[in-house]
Amino acid sequence: MNRRIALRHLALISGGLALIPSCDFSSDDILAAYENLKVTASQKQLLGAISDTIIPAGELKGALELEVPDFILVMVNDCMSTDNQTLFSTGLAAFPDFAKKTAGKKYDQLSTKEKENLIQTGIDLQPSENPEGEKDKAVTYFLNTTKRLTMQGYMASEYIQTEVIPYSLIPGPYNGSALISEIQPTRIDG
Amino acid sequence: MANLNIRNKQERTYQAIVVGSGASGGWAAKEFGDLGVKTLLLERGRNVEHIKDYPTTNMLPFEFKHRGKLPQKVLDENPIVSKCYAFGEDSEHFFAKDADQPYIQEKPFDWIRGYQVGGKSLLWARQVQRWSDYDFEGPARDGFAVDWPIRYKDIASWYSHVEKFAGVSGNLDGLDVLPDGEFLPGYDLNIVEKHFAQKLKETYGGDRHMISSRCAHIHEPSPEFAAQGRASCQNRNLCQRGCPFGGYFSSNSSTIPWALKSGNVTLRPDSVVHSVIYDEEKGKATGVRVIDAHTKEVEEFYADVIFINAAAINSNAILMNSTSARFPNGMGNDSGVLGKYFAFHNYRAGVSASHDGFKEYTTSGGRPTSGYIPRFRNVKKQETDFLRGYAGGFSAYRGGGYVADARVGMDLKNSMLNKTPADGPWRVGSHMMGETIPKESNFIALDSEKLDPYGLPTLKFNVEYDDNDEKMIIDYQEQISEMFSKAGFTDISVRDDHRVPGLDIHEMGGVRMGKDPKTSMLNGNHQLHDVPNVYVTDGASMTSTSTQNPTLTYMAFAARAAHHAVNESKKG
Repeated sequence: MNRRIALRHLALISGGLALIPSCDFSSDDILAAYENLKVTASQKQLLGAISDTIIPAGELKGALELEVPDFILVMVNDCMSTDNQTLFSTGLAAFPDFAKKTAGKKYDQLSTKEKENLIQTGIDLQPSENPEGEKDKAVTYFLNTTKRLTMQGYMASEYIQTEVIPYSLIPGPYNGSALISEIQPTRIDG
Repeated sequence: MANLNIRNKQERTYQAIVVGSGASGGWAAKEFGDLGVKTLLLERGRNVEHIKDYPTTNMLPFEFKHRGKLPQKVLDENPIVSKCYAFGEDSEHFFAKDADQPYIQEKPFDWIRGYQVGGKSLLWARQVQRWSDYDFEGPARDGFAVDWPIRYKDIASWYSHVEKFAGVSGNLDGLDVLPDGEFLPGYDLNIVEKHFAQKLKETYGGDRHMISSRCAHIHEPSPEFAAQGRASCQNRNLCQRGCPFGGYFSSNSSTIPWALKSGNVTLRPDSVVHSVIYDEEKGKATGVRVIDAHTKEVEEFYADVIFINAAAINSNAILMNSTSARFPNGMGNDSGVLGKYFAFHNYRAGVSASHDGFKEYTTSGGRPTSGYIPRFRNVKKQETDFLRGYAGGFSAYRGGGYVADARVGMDLKNSMLNKTPADGPWRVGSHMMGETIPKESNFIALDSEKLDPYGLPTLKFNVEYDDNDEKMIIDYQEQISEMFSKAGFTDISVRDDHRVPGLDIHEMGGVRMGKDPKTSMLNGNHQLHDVPNVYVTDGASMTSTSTQNPTLTYMAFAARAAHHAVNESKKG
C-alpha cells in the first residue's frame, strides 16, 4: 500500500482530524496483523517507544524488548469495542501533534525525562468541551489504555513470570494471618 | 423427522435411563452402577473426559493470547453467557453459546448452560451447605407454595452419603440453621474474617454467624478418594478449567468414571432428549426419544425407570414436550403446575468496606472457599415485613496492587515489581443469596411455533422479581452494613447490580414436589405422581428455594431416589 492511501486511511480513522500527523513515516504499510485498527508500521514503532518510556529497560528488560507493543495492539484489535478502537487509533494518530505542541519537539528528540513528563501530562489531561478537547480526549484515552496494557503485558509476560517473579499454578496452602514482614520478598531493582 | 430404529430393540433396552450427566444425573448413574442396574446415561453435549479434555488446565497466564479476556467478537455474539463471572478465555469451551439454543425472554432471564458430559458440575462454585427443617418447613409455616413432602430426617443420611464420596470440607459449627455433615477439615478463615465472626457473636447474642463455607473440595487425601483417582485440592482456584487433581467434585472427576468402572453404566454423549415415551396400555413410561446432536436422527431407548436430570429448565422442557393422549399438557401434568412456581436465588445486592486494623498482616497461598453468613432473618419466627431471608457470602482480602500514582518510567516499573500488601488496606465484601418465593405467575413454557436447531420447541421465560425481593434487598444492605459497622469496618458501600433472574444459575422448580397430586408434580420420592417410574431429582423438583447453594441437595435427592427406584423394582 502506498503512502498516499495509507495517509488517507489514517485521516479517515482519525475522524477527519485537520492535521495529518507530522511524524516521519519510515514505513507506511498498514499492518495486516491488526485488521480492525489500520495501524502503520511507523505508528507501531511510535507505540513501542511510548511503551518503553512507560516501562523502560534497566537492570531488567523493558516493555519494548518483551514485545509489549504487539500485545497492546492485539488486545485493542481483539478485545475492544469499535468505538474504543477508533478512539485509540485517533489518539495514536494525534500523538505526534500533541508531542510537538506540548513539548515543542518530536517525540524521539525528547530526553527520557521529557518523554515521561509528556506522557504523564497526556495521561492526566482534562479534555475541555470543544473541538480541541475532542483531540485531547483521544490522546488521553490512547495514553491511559497504552499505560494499562503496557503494565499488564509486561507483568503477564513469560519473562517476568518465569525469570523474575516465577508464577506458580500451585500457590501453596493458605495462611490467613501471614506477617507481611516475614513474607516480604527481596526487593527487585528494575 | 427421520426415525431410524434400525438397531435391535433389545440392544437399546436398559433397566434405567438417566437423562443428563451433571451433578444430579452423575449421582443417579453412580448409584445405579453400584447397585448393579444396567443404565444408559444420556448427555446432550459432547464428551468431556477427566483431565484429557481440560485443554487449558495447566496453561500459564502468558500462554493465553488475551491473558484471560475474551475477544469483543465473542462477547458481542454472546450477550447472555458473557454475563457469567466464570466465562473467560480459559473456560469458554465449557459453556453453551447463545446461538446454540435461542430462547424467548417474555421477561428478561439470563440462562447460563453447560452442555457437555459433566454439565455445569465442571463450572460450579462448589459451595455445599445442607438444608435444615427451617428451610423444609418454610412454605408450610409461611403459607406460600405447597408443603414439602419431606423433612430433614428424610434426607440427612443421603447428605452424609454424598458428602463422604464427593469430599466436603468444613467445620463442625453446631448451628441449627445449617446442620453439620461428614466433613474433611475446614479451610481457615483469615484474621479479618475471624475478627468479623467474633464481633458478630459478641454483638448479636449468638444469632448471627460467619463461618468457613463448606465446599466440595478434598482437603485431606484418603484411600476412598484415591480410589476415584482424586487427590487433594491444590488451592489453584482455576476450577473452571477442570481440575487435573480431581481436587473438587465434578461428575467428570468422580461419579461418572466411577459409574463407568462398575461396568453397568453406558455413557452416550451427543444425545438430545426429545421426550419421554408413555405407553397408554401399560400406564407407564417405557423409554425416551433421542435426537442425535450431529445427524439429527431420532432413536428410541427403553428402560423400566427413567430419571430426568437435565438441569431444572430442560427437565421442565422434556416433560412439557412429552405429550400423549393421556397427558396432552405434558407428562404427569394433570395438576397443570408443570413449569409454574419457578424460582431462583436473588443475588442482586452486595456490600463492601475497608478495615483499618491488622495492618501488619496479609494472606499467603490459596484456598478454594471463603466465608458464609447463614440465614438469620425470620428463622425462628416472622420478624420483618417480607417473607423468608438471605444468606451472605463473605470474604476479606488484603488490598495493595500497583501504586496508582507512580510516575511512568522506572518509578512505575519498580512499584510494579515490588508491590506489597502494605500499600493497601484490608477490603471486605459480602454478596446476597436471597430466597425467592415460587409463584404461579413465574413460569417457563414452550413455544411450539418456534423450533430450536434440533427441531425442539423453544423455551420462553416469564420470571421476575417481586416486592418481597425488593424489600429483602434493602434489608440485606441495611443489616450487613450494620454488621460491618459493628465490626469496625469503614467506607461501607452497598450495591444493587439489578441483574435479571437467571445469572444466579440457581434456577429451581416447575416440577415441584408436594403431597397433593392436584397441586404438585412429584411425590416425596421424586416420582411423578401419575407416572411413578419417572423421577426428577434436579433443581426442577424444588418446592421452595431457601438460601443455600442448591447442588448438594440435588445430589442427595438423586442418590436417595435411585435407591428408592431399585427398592421399588425389587418389590416387583
